[in-house]
Amino acid sequence: MPINALILLMMLVLISAAFYVGRSRALRASGRGSISLHSLPNYHGYFVALWTGVPALLLMAAMAVFGSSISESVIEMRLNQAAAPLAADLEAQLAEDSLIQSARRTLDASADVNAATQARAAIQSRRTAIADSIADTARESGASGLALAGFEYANLPPERRGLFTNDARALAFNGQPSEITPAIEATASAFRPVDRIVRYGGAVLAILLAMAGLAWSRSRVKAGFRARNRVEAAFMGFLMFCSGIAILTTIGIVASLLFESLRFFEAINWRLDQFLFGTQWSPQTAIRAEQVGQTGAFGAVPLFAGTFMITIIAILVAGPIGLFAAIYLSEYAGKRTRKIVKPVMEILAGIPTVVYGFFALLTVGPAIRAAAQFVGFESAVTQSALSAGLVMGVMIIPFVSSLSDDVINAVPQTLRDGAYAMGATKSETVKQVILPAALPGIVGAFLLAVSRAVGETMIVVMAAGQGANLTANPLESVTTITVQIVMLLTGDQEFDSAKTLSAFALGLVLFIFTLALNVIALRVVQRYREKYD
Amino acid sequence: MINRTDIQAAVEARLAKRYRAEGRFRMFGILAIMAAISVLILLIGSIASQSIPAFRVNELTLPVTLETARVDPAGDGSEASLRRGAYNSLLQEALRDEFPEIEDRGQLRELFGLYTPLNSARLQNQVLANPGLVGRTIDFTFPISDDADLYLQGLTTTSGEVAPGLMATPSGTSGEVRIFANSNVFSPIVSDIRERLATQAEELEDRAERYETRAANAAGEDARVSLTREAEQARTRAASLRALAEPGSPSVDMSPELPSRLIRMNGGIVHIDRITDSGRTAEGRVLVALESTTPGDDWTIWTLDTPQAERRITDAQIAWAETLRERGRLETGFNTYLFTNADSREPELAGVLGAVIGSALTMLVTMFLAVPIGVATAVYLEEFAPKNRLTGFIEVNINNLAAVPSIVFGLLGLAVFISLFGLPRSAPLVGGMVLALMTLPTVIISSRAALKAVPPSIREAALGVGASRLQTVVHHVLPLAAPGILTGSIIGLAQAMGETAPLLMIGMVAFVADAPSLSVGGLTEPATVMPVQIFLWSDGAERAFEPRTAAAILVLLALMIVFNAVAVFLRRRFERRW
Repeated sequence: MPINALILLMMLVLISAAFYVGRSRALRASGRGSISLHSLPNYHGYFVALWTGVPALLLMAAMAVFGSSISESVIEMRLNQAAAPLAADLEAQLAEDSLIQSARRTLDASADVNAATQARAAIQSRRTAIADSIADTARESGASGLALAGFEYANLPPERRGLFTNDARALAFNGQPSEITPAIEATASAFRPVDRIVRYGGAVLAILLAMAGLAWSRSRVKAGFRARNRVEAAFMGFLMFCSGIAILTTIGIVASLLFESLRFFEAINWRLDQFLFGTQWSPQTAIRAEQVGQTGAFGAVPLFAGTFMITIIAILVAGPIGLFAAIYLSEYAGKRTRKIVKPVMEILAGIPTVVYGFFALLTVGPAIRAAAQFVGFESAVTQSALSAGLVMGVMIIPFVSSLSDDVINAVPQTLRDGAYAMGATKSETVKQVILPAALPGIVGAFLLAVSRAVGETMIVVMAAGQGANLTANPLESVTTITVQIVMLLTGDQEFDSAKTLSAFALGLVLFIFTLALNVIALRVVQRYREKYD
Repeated sequence: MINRTDIQAAVEARLAKRYRAEGRFRMFGILAIMAAISVLILLIGSIASQSIPAFRVNELTLPVTLETARVDPAGDGSEASLRRGAYNSLLQEALRDEFPEIEDRGQLRELFGLYTPLNSARLQNQVLANPGLVGRTIDFTFPISDDADLYLQGLTTTSGEVAPGLMATPSGTSGEVRIFANSNVFSPIVSDIRERLATQAEELEDRAERYETRAANAAGEDARVSLTREAEQARTRAASLRALAEPGSPSVDMSPELPSRLIRMNGGIVHIDRITDSGRTAEGRVLVALESTTPGDDWTIWTLDTPQAERRITDAQIAWAETLRERGRLETGFNTYLFTNADSREPELAGVLGAVIGSALTMLVTMFLAVPIGVATAVYLEEFAPKNRLTGFIEVNINNLAAVPSIVFGLLGLAVFISLFGLPRSAPLVGGMVLALMTLPTVIISSRAALKAVPPSIREAALGVGASRLQTVVHHVLPLAAPGILTGSIIGLAQAMGETAPLLMIGMVAFVADAPSLSVGGLTEPATVMPVQIFLWSDGAERAFEPRTAAAILVLLALMIVFNAVAVFLRRRFERRW
């Protein structure tokens, strides 16, 4: 870190120097006054500074991202090199070994799955035995630690190799390796110089690049040089890159969700129907991955049902309250009331969802339980679909009301005036003229509110419970898509189990569902909006 | 011929009906708004009232003798040696000096439960900061345990004291004692206990009856069996309670399920375990030593209404805490630990400082990413972008991103930043990046609105005097749009500051006992943020975390109000209408 900070500081100095170099050279080139320059002197300065800083900083950024993988691949190469004689020895012994040959023949010949699995296991265990004996002889004959480490690394199953390098890296740089073996120690000691070379090399390269950029761009600065156009082009490039980030984000979301979901579907043998229509959700058993048939139950219907129930409750709360509030504020309330009430309602939207969760957990939940027990439901619990739904409804009130308010205000005044002229009261105007005219927008607002409710996480995590019950009783605890994603991904777990991956599949479902709702909402608004102009 | 007055009457009747409908409709609107606002008031009010105990703390101040042999085992006064000192045993001794009469190991353990051993680390730091203290006796102030604190704030149990005003004689000053009274002063207690037992038995019988009716109506065989079993259990327990409550027996045992009774006498406290001799004698053990066995009528019976089984603090601890308060060892003050400490497993030492710093670091990253990128995107789309398919796609994209659930951004962060790029988990850097992606659409949309509000005449004038398009935007349009952009950005950041779900995905739920350093290095250290801290505390096992959660919420809300107030101020101050 200190070396990077140092280089960064040097770069800053270099860049500001470059600016003044470019600027003063431009001033000198122009002779007296800047009248003969195409661009203002500052632009020449920017030009030189850009050429000095951008390539070098890009290189540094690339080194920061890829530096570790470069040094890792160098290490891997050196490990392979050092272990080459041992590996060759292993291959030779394997080729000669009679046990392995016979197993390979069985593997080729038999179509039986069990026999093939047995043959593979036999080859594997024999191979490990031979590798161990080779390593032992090599150790006795005084082979280098690196060679032994390389040999061990080469014989590790692919999924363990990452852990091996991570341990070595951690050992080399004061981290906490998960285990320390002689092989890891040898690799770690090989790591340090390589990493240093990569890091210092990168830094030196960056400085050289900056110098080269400075020298070259400085030579370009002349009286007629169109520095401004170049600088502006660079700036435009930056702007375009920034707008690309939105697309990159979407691509990132879709790609990561899809990729991990595909791995999950592979893990459940492409039983998509079981995922989407199964009624049993208990991902916990999936920890024991090696047990065939014990891959947990990933039927997401209880989750969908829970999400659906809580969303319905939320909309039942937020819909009427939000809509009536919007109607009152836009049709009845005076300017002053509106000015006070609207921001107060907006506060509801600004309160963090975790606060709503706390409120639901400690105030609403116990109150509902007490009320339910008073009425005679002995089994009522604190964490219920009802309390989560009610509180979530409160959260989306301002969402419904402000969107509906916009829509109602967009209905032209002439329609109201027409209705009043016919003798309609205000409420009749609202019910028979304004609401029908604003209906598509209101439907759109409700759909957006639904998508909000479906994707909301903290309230349900805290207040809805975790049991995957398939129930229609709002007093019981239910679970939702978002709750399960949180449950699956918090805490320590390996990244590759079907249990963890299922969270991404749920995320994909959530993403597709909310996206579809949004698209439909926009379509509804556009398609059915009556044109009054 | 229709009577005109009939028509008039009909119209009037109908009009009245219509006006009533009108009034009803209007009332619905007002009710809706009142409902929303009253829920808001209820929300804030309930959280504020729940938070009150968290702002007060009861601190013990005890003379602690820093014996050289135990603080400085190596005897050289070096830091390494001071770090190996047995500070907790010093604290234990200081507390023991207050109650020398306690001998029993179990009781000692109870006594030491009055504070958390984590305080010894604070004593150690104090000594490390000032090695000259070794060998001296200092007054060390530390918070009493959360359960005792809740009791002292009156949140654990209600209590009452009555002075019978009759002569009584204790049989000893410590250990197991009997207190003999001349008359049956303890018989009200006996009858109270019997009454309570009877009520409990009745309740159990009621419950058994309900179970029986439900069993009779139960649909499945399994449900019937389990309900019947429940009913039987309730019946058996009720019967045993009834047997205990049976009047006639000369003695009655106190149990932890019943309100506790203590006797204060001759400067000491005795816990009543048994009342015998038809209410004339109380047997029990001494919690705080009596000064003498002198008979007297100046004694009181002290009742703790919440049974011991229903609270986390024992009768003995209550007696000691009260005694410490009477001796002036305990002081109630403002809870500074809440603001100067990072998270802790012990509620009395837990604070929000670490989370506040984590939030600040995360918000810095978010700000430095989301605002420049967002404004640049808005400038490009609003001022330069040709109207073609690609820019149309970008716009649709941004609108859709604004509606993507926040947890999905967390999944993106987990899959891309942590798994793919190998960035550290739980780090403010990653949290800031995820929140920046989440905030980006808000910043872009509000910045575009602000840019759109700048009238074209400004652009035309600048272009007219020969400025390039970029110069027009950078020199003229952006400064005019800056207040709007700033307001939108601040509101977006405030939203990000309250966001929890995506940060759970990238591992910011870890327990972090040390506040991260407020520096560049702190960006990659494990940290937590305010909303996540609230989430973590909200399911803390100790009850004392509840008020602290509410207090943390108030801190978060205060921060957000400051953010939003700044935004409103900027808008008021610099907003320009054309």
